[in-house]
Amino acid sequence: MSHDKLLDTLWLLLIILTLAGTLLGESADPGLAVTLIICLTMAFKGRMVIDHFMELNTANRKIRNMMRAYFYVLPAVTILTSLFGDWLARLTTL
Amino acid sequence: MTAVILTADASLAPSSEARIPGNKGIWVGIFSEMTEFALLFSVYFLAKAHHPEAFREGPPQLSTLAGMFNTIMMISGSYFVAKAVMAIRRNQRDVSARWLYGVAFTIAGYLLTKYFEFQWNVEHGITGRTSIFFTTYYYLTFTHMVHIVWGAMGLLWVTVRTKTGAYSPEDHEGLEAFASYWHATDLAWLIIFPLLYVLR
Repeated sequence: MSHDKLLDTLWLLLIILTLAGTLLGESADPGLAVTLIICLTMAFKGRMVIDHFMELNTANRKIRNMMRAYFYVLPAVTILTSLFGDWLARLTTL
Repeated sequence: MTAVILTADASLAPSSEARIPGNKGIWVGIFSEMTEFALLFSVYFLAKAHHPEAFREGPPQLSTLAGMFNTIMMISGSYFVAKAVMAIRRNQRDVSARWLYGVAFTIAGYLLTKYFEFQWNVEHGITGRTSIFFTTYYYLTFTHMVHIVWGAMGLLWVTVRTKTGAYSPEDHEGLEAFASYWHATDLAWLIIFPLLYVLR
């Protein structure tokens, strides 16, 4: 697959994931399963933009790793806040 | 789909572990931007932990349609600028400029949507003081909007440079630098959208 074709395919995929994620968030009852799906989608979309739109998959390793790490940490913290929000609140109460 | 993506050919850019898309300067800016958003996201997580009710009741009061439309604008703008870079690497200056006009269209769409969204909020009694959720919402979305405006100025510059033939397949560092910045601004929105509009 040429890089041009890859960009076209990814754009379509990212749009579909956005529409599907929004529909899920609007229609499903809030819960851990929905949070997990939304966060996994967030991580996947970020990784695709970093690797292929930014072209970091074939560029500087340090920059690539730091950018990829951002999209491991943020979705993980989102899930952890959902699961352990009370604990975090107690930990950060003066 | 993932298998297809992972086995795709590399782009026309030279593939090297040492290659820095754009230049070092823009990456200092990008990491500053990502750090700024990381701090704001930390505020979001702490506020959510302390006020779960406000963060459950807040998102349904926002216009999900506006948030979704702006996500489409951001993803499309990111895609258009990647296509502009690909075109300049093939020495297709006019094609590259047309993709950059597409980015300008997505910026206009984004800003127009934000205008109507904020107006809609006010009509529904939503301000930054309505609850801690909305304070966080305005902080995050205003900050993102400021980065969009900076990007719009950068876009103007690289469009003029593209049209006047300043970039070539061998040297288009400035265009790549703008593209990297724009992708980073897209990335920030890819986190803001689910946090503020989708998750309850």
